Amino acid sequence: MESPANVLLVEDNQGDADLVRLRLVESDPPVKVDCARRLSEALKTLAAKKPSLVLLDLNLPDSRGAETFRRVLEKAPDVPVVILSGQDDETLAMKAVHLGVQDYLIKGDITSKHLERALRYAIERQSLLRALDMTRKQQLEFKNQFLSHVSHELRTPLTCIHQYATLLLDGLAGPVTAEQSDHLKTVLKSVTQLHAMIRDLLEATRAEAGKMRIEPRCMAVGDLMVQAMAMMRPAAEQKRIELEAVLDAAIPLVYADPDRILEVLINLLDNAIKFTPEGGSVAVKACMIETDPSAVYVSVSDTGRGISAQALPRIFERLFQDENAAEGSRSGLGLGLYIAREIVTLHGGRMWAASEPGSGSTFSFHLPVYSLARLLRPVITEEGRLRPSFVLVRVMVKPGRTPPLGNWKVLCLQVLEVVRRCVYVDKDLVLPPMGGLANVETVYVVASTDMERVTIMLRRIQEQLKTIPQLEISGKVEVTAEALEVPANASAQDLDQQVQALATRVQETILAGLAAQAKRNAEKGKK
Amino acid sequence: MIVDDDPALRQALNLRLRANNYDVVSACDGYSALALAQKERPDVILLDLGLPAGDGFAVLSNLQQFPSLTTIPVIVLTARDPQSSEARSLKSGAVAFFQKPADNQELLDTVRTCLETGQAFTRRWPR
Repeated sequence: MESPANVLLVEDNQGDADLVRLRLVESDPPVKVDCARRLSEALKTLAAKKPSLVLLDLNLPDSRGAETFRRVLEKAPDVPVVILSGQDDETLAMKAVHLGVQDYLIKGDITSKHLERALRYAIERQSLLRALDMTRKQQLEFKNQFLSHVSHELRTPLTCIHQYATLLLDGLAGPVTAEQSDHLKTVLKSVTQLHAMIRDLLEATRAEAGKMRIEPRCMAVGDLMVQAMAMMRPAAEQKRIELEAVLDAAIPLVYADPDRILEVLINLLDNAIKFTPEGGSVAVKACMIETDPSAVYVSVSDTGRGISAQALPRIFERLFQDENAAEGSRSGLGLGLYIAREIVTLHGGRMWAASEPGSGSTFSFHLPVYSLARLLRPVITEEGRLRPSFVLVRVMVKPGRTPPLGNWKVLCLQVLEVVRRCVYVDKDLVLPPMGGLANVETVYVVASTDMERVTIMLRRIQEQLKTIPQLEISGKVEVTAEALEVPANASAQDLDQQVQALATRVQETILAGLAAQAKRNAEKGKK
Repeated sequence: MIVDDDPALRQALNLRLRANNYDVVSACDGYSALALAQKERPDVILLDLGLPAGDGFAVLSNLQQFPSLTTIPVIVLTARDPQSSEARSLKSGAVAFFQKPADNQELLDTVRTCLETGQAFTRRWPR
């Protein structure tokens, strides 16, 4: 075991300090000792030079108790700490060991042999813990890479099965009898299931590795509810389960990734339908929360068999599955709820479950409300007041006569990039995408400047948009600007209120525009 | 032109595309893909990313080097995950990204759109 080369002794009582110092200097080999009387001194020394070990009295003139060791550990997490404890402070000293300190010694009870041994042991323990931690991290990393690799490799043979089964089914290798067609459809059902399992495996692995990404935008929960229900209706109808939605009329918009939240809803609905017997009912609900205006509440509840009290706390665990899991499920791996909860957590919300065995279950979650005021504030205020003028710029992209090749999403991303390059980072705000209109993408910018400068910006945007080749051929761009009225600066009015009022107006303008566009699209569709 | 190192998949795609009245040529690695593209001047390329002799991204960047090849639309068809590969593919010049197993109809629709457009343009990410 290693002996400490130099020790930092943090002790304000001269007598106690001298005793310890003497012991250390007497040891073989002798230990160099630096002294500090106050926490601030100790922290300064730690910043300059890391000792092999810190001997720490918890009660110093500028810090007492748990706070002392907490701050030392924070400052030098790699340096082992041994507490010098008074006779009455043993409980605190033990707590300190739980929280990262290596050992403690009772003052007045320290022989030099004792001290030497304790210090060596503390250094050894610290290095052992570090090695363990590194091994754990490496194993986790390996496991995640392994699972990613496996789920990737599984796709190739799965694709082959899919390709040849569909080839046969589509009659591309000769005529197919009705019976053969049925068999092939059965094969394809398994392919779909396997595909879902591979996807879930990869998603769960990514979630655990902290690599799951979401792309939140401003959106309406109601739209997603409608979509999810439409997708799950056939499955519900097969079991004669009633599927209904309960939606508050005035729910605020949320800031969330529509694809991911759709995934969550489908997951929950799939489970609800799976575990509800024929003739039962499933309901999706979304409403505001009285006690918390910054979040929206969403739930999926069913009249199914419910979850037992033993299973309930484990329901979100990976790979946890209820016995008697029903057939025909999307994925049989038991990862769905884990993934759903990870997605919601990434959004800043939380998810939980409640259940009454025999009568049904409810899975609930929160999503953050979209707050334009919060986003706008740093841009439109300056030194405690509103800037003098703002302009709302709208860049709208619509597909041209030739639909965009491949990915519409790519085109939208390209437009967003161009717009971002043309605005002033500090003074203008490019709003997160709003609305979920297919094939029309609108980028909004709140420019905190006047119409004149905005005209220049608009010209730049138009020029830069020309560098997107696909856009010329397959899209039309409309760029408009509208001056926003600055709310009257009644000095009695709180700046927050002013920001809020402006944000509300901007949001209303935008939503009205999007609604009008949706209406025009719908009418065009009817023709 | 199909570029994929899996012979079974090449054959299946071949059959399906021919059934839709397309002429098909295939290559099984990055190097021969380039040579074949030069020789045949396909109208669309279906490109796998995991290839021997230079992966799909190498092919994409090589295609950009030749003025006659740079205008051919490339559709990436790969087992790799979109989160890690889609943006990179599109920035490297692909016009679309599909993860295997892909929906046949969607794939065919995209191929058809590429051919109907028949436009020659470079697909560099705006810089």
